[in-house]
Amino acid sequence: MAVLQGAEAKLYLGGDFYGRPCIIKERFQKNYRHPILDKALTSQRIKSEVRANLRCRIAGIQTPTIFMVNFDTNSIYMEEIQDAVTVRQHINTVQAAELNPASACSQLKPLAEAIGRTLAKMHTSNIIHGDLTTSNMLLEGDPSELSLFLIDFGLSSFEASAEDKGVDLYVLERAFLSSHPNSQELFDCILAAYTDQTQDKNACKEVISKLDEVRLRGRKRTMVG
Amino acid sequence: MATYKKIKHVLYPDSTITLALYSGLESCKDLRKSVMEGTVVASLLKPSMIVDPFQVLTAANKAVHLSRTNNMTTKNVHSEILFCLSPSKNISESFRSFGAADSDTSVFVAIVDDAEDKTLTRISEILGLSPVSIDDVASLADTVLITKAYKLSEEEISTYPILDALVSRIAAKEIITAGKGKN
Repeated sequence: MAVLQGAEAKLYLGGDFYGRPCIIKERFQKNYRHPILDKALTSQRIKSEVRANLRCRIAGIQTPTIFMVNFDTNSIYMEEIQDAVTVRQHINTVQAAELNPASACSQLKPLAEAIGRTLAKMHTSNIIHGDLTTSNMLLEGDPSELSLFLIDFGLSSFEASAEDKGVDLYVLERAFLSSHPNSQELFDCILAAYTDQTQDKNACKEVISKLDEVRLRGRKRTMVG
Repeated sequence: MATYKKIKHVLYPDSTITLALYSGLESCKDLRKSVMEGTVVASLLKPSMIVDPFQVLTAANKAVHLSRTNNMTTKNVHSEILFCLSPSKNISESFRSFGAADSDTSVFVAIVDDAEDKTLTRISEILGLSPVSIDDVASLADTVLITKAYKLSEEEISTYPILDALVSRIAAKEIITAGKGKN
């Protein structure tokens, strides 16, 4: 079984849950934290991760199916999305194959729109992903079919405020621009689709103006005054 | 009888889960009586609430895990399977909507640790029938009723196979119900 190690959890790939491909995400103990605090934080994060995953599903966003939650080992057993690439890999592949940036961008436009629409759905349900990056989005099967999955809800929360949604988009923008060169135009496509898809135009306007505000000051709120 | 399935638990390989489906019964009354009296130890589930054996397997898997870690809500592992399968927090409501009724003409059976298939053989004797293929449960499922019981949203059904929607809800039951009210 292949193991991937992150800062918060270990990921065991290639498992099997009664005949279905499964990955196990195990949040390990942090020895630098007080045991009681560690336990509380870990269990809270598992819960919010599972909850956000389910809320997204209810909103019609594709996420991995949860098979089991084991509170004893702090593990989540979930579906392994077969035959998938991360959006990050896909963008890199397209950009590497296409030397002309403008044509790479036009090829990736439909994907950017799909991302924008998915995020609009997510924010309409007041789900804040917390860690939107192109590595946390998967494309299943043929990337041109735009079967988009959101994964890793470990930092998610439920907030209705424009501030949190703005920060969520800002985090994605930073991740986008730092991992993909010449991608401002693509991110603008995401925003355009996001705005287009959101039903509540006023709320959406507020989110976008918050995004502009956050761009100037950074992710953290100013604590002056 | 190659029609039923006996499966090793993913976490506890020393534990097994047996799944079987019986259809064409005159009534489920005698079998239910034996289970209530404790002479037969098994979970009797309503096939109309099951879209796929995997749905029951998820619930049984969870029930065995909860029993091993002493976190059960109900008295024993077989009633826990019923409770895990149901989206309700209320035990008797879970039994009413997901447990087999006297008038049912089919029954889906789940047995934990059935040594030498003794319980299954006993059930076949009581019903006077052999189990049919468990995959036949798909044709007995009442998806309208299931959608209502699990409160599946329209977006969800159009995005996913109904089985995946149910499996996620079963696996995360205590997490979603605990989150109610807050947000």
